[in-house]
Amino acid sequence: MVKIPTLRHVRGFDVARPVSIGVMLAIMLPLVILPLLSIFLFGTSKGLGVFWSALIAPEAIFALKLSMVTSFWATVFNVIFGLFAAYVLSRYDFWGRNAVIVTISLPTAIPTAVAGFALLLLWGPNATLGRLLNAHGKHLMFTAYAIILANIFVTFPLAFGVIKPVFDTMSSSLEEAAATIGATRWQTFWHVTLPSLRGAIVGGALLTFARAIGEFGSTILVSGNLAGRTQTAPLYIFAKFNEGQIEAANAIAIVLALLSFIIFSVLFFARDWLEFEAQEK
Amino acid sequence: MIPKMALARDTDQLHVSWAPDRQASTGVAASVHGISKRFKKTPVLEDVSFDVAEGESLVLLGPSGSGKTTVLRIIAGLEQPYTGRVILHGKDVTDLPARERGVGVIFQSYALFPRMTVEKNIAFGLKIRRRPRKERSETVNRLIELVQLEAHRKKYPWQLSGGQQQRVAIARTLAYKPQVLLFDEPFGALDAQTRVKLRREIRALLRQVKVPAIFITHDQEEALELGDRIAVLNNGHLEQIGTPDEVYNHPSTEFVATFLGAANLLLGVVVPGAVQVGVARLPATEETKKFRAGQSVKLVFRPEDVCLSPDAKLPAGCRRLANGVIEEVNFVGAYERLNVRLDLTHRRQTESEAPLYDVTINTPEKMTGVPIMVTLPKPEATATRYKAGDRVAVGLTSFSVLPNYTLARQR
Repeated sequence: MVKIPTLRHVRGFDVARPVSIGVMLAIMLPLVILPLLSIFLFGTSKGLGVFWSALIAPEAIFALKLSMVTSFWATVFNVIFGLFAAYVLSRYDFWGRNAVIVTISLPTAIPTAVAGFALLLLWGPNATLGRLLNAHGKHLMFTAYAIILANIFVTFPLAFGVIKPVFDTMSSSLEEAAATIGATRWQTFWHVTLPSLRGAIVGGALLTFARAIGEFGSTILVSGNLAGRTQTAPLYIFAKFNEGQIEAANAIAIVLALLSFIIFSVLFFARDWLEFEAQEK
Repeated sequence: MIPKMALARDTDQLHVSWAPDRQASTGVAASVHGISKRFKKTPVLEDVSFDVAEGESLVLLGPSGSGKTTVLRIIAGLEQPYTGRVILHGKDVTDLPARERGVGVIFQSYALFPRMTVEKNIAFGLKIRRRPRKERSETVNRLIELVQLEAHRKKYPWQLSGGQQQRVAIARTLAYKPQVLLFDEPFGALDAQTRVKLRREIRALLRQVKVPAIFITHDQEEALELGDRIAVLNNGHLEQIGTPDEVYNHPSTEFVATFLGAANLLLGVVVPGAVQVGVARLPATEETKKFRAGQSVKLVFRPEDVCLSPDAKLPAGCRRLANGVIEEVNFVGAYERLNVRLDLTHRRQTESEAPLYDVTINTPEKMTGVPIMVTLPKPEATATRYKAGDRVAVGLTSFSVLPNYTLARQR
């Protein structure tokens, strides 16, 4: 944990301390804290029984499971690809390298609905690649695979963004040392480079998963939003809200909020561990 | 700590095994022939050649940017030479990648694997060579004992002190019996006291394991203490290679003279049997042999090679140079440092003439004296008690004569 230094140059009672903490919380209250709180309050306002039955509704369970599974596979892919891309981009210089780095980061800034739309344009039944699949009697859009694809696109830069800086700051003498000792590139990567990236990989994975599980804009376009088939948790919430079933929507919202709370807590408290990696040159 | 223990130990068991197994060798462990290297268009090394004998330790000494690290990286296979060959135990390894050369590199940062314990770091070389587990643990045990890290074998690198990390780095390379050990500025990251202690330890360790070593340093004291021989590099050129005694006492270039310790330089001309410096004439039959009369030279001598006398009587073995006046006296601990101005413009004195009183430090128009630096050992300094303004006769116990090139490329 980062130690907070005492302000030794301040004498007597430091008025700035309660005031600044108060102002910060006052700003956060209507913007972040109250909205989160209201989910919990409304979700449980009709009693825990209602909350529980909303939670174990088959469609709700399915939506949560689907979200977990699709987010999981998107995370697996993006961590592996992010690791690979970070390795390539920090070890090799080539023409257009900077352009690639910028392109990888793009999905962060593109509206997720546009991402979904773009995937439809490419893979949809009448689109370029979609027609190829159709010819083989298969289709990608409006299936769970489409959701994974959308998640991959949207969370693409996250793991890469965490892993790349660690690669960049890693001293090349470690890899050189391994080489002079007699290790092949693969042995060096496996025994030396990868262990040093452990923290970054875990951090990147958590971040990717957290982002993927909340994804809405792109999934609603590519999944078809079919309850019990391609409806993820965020889509379920939206659907139930539209149907006026606020309790059902809220129950799942609570689960998602708790989940991301846990993920970010792990990220925060694992920071020691993650930073420890970064310190080692 | 190591030297004492190492000597006390039963040496038979430890001696043999760390040098690579090899058949009848020629005595040369590693050599580079005509190495040159360019980065982009800038030449960083030009035609560098040297040999390292079996069990020898050679120090590459030079200022930063002299190319010494590049030489080391070329031997290790981490850098490709532009021209030239690298030979390890008779085998040309110039085209082999680093991992097939079997050299041990001790990086300045030690480059220990942060996720591995001391044991695992040391075992790494054997692990990737797929040696049986039993052999691995035996080797690791012996090496941990050799570098005295028994108490730290389960620790991670960040839990160790700089000196301990360095010992792990050495043990890690010894595990696979390296052809040659390469030390890149091994004491750069340590404080002055630890440096002195560690280089004695390493020296003792190397004597024990008998693996040839090449050190890189910019510290002349370190070079003198660590090297069986010293190779002085400057601007990508090998200026001189020789034993510490040769390099220090008989520098073959001006750079070597000034880089390795302090040196006084005076311009002179060779006359038959002597060097003429201003009006002073220094008898030098031996040193001027390779020069023709009338050739412009530089007279090079170390501050400790100067002898002073308040009267005309210089000690035996000290050749008289000129008269001088003491300008400044500094006590610097182990010895006393004096700035002396030589009278090189006045009439030449005869051998037994008492010092003249023409050079003075007080009036600007009379500041014609040529400054030199002199160090006196403590006993002599306390016996004579020179002070600023004293007139002295100045002589030299030893000196070198170097050609005075006007252009660097004439070298």
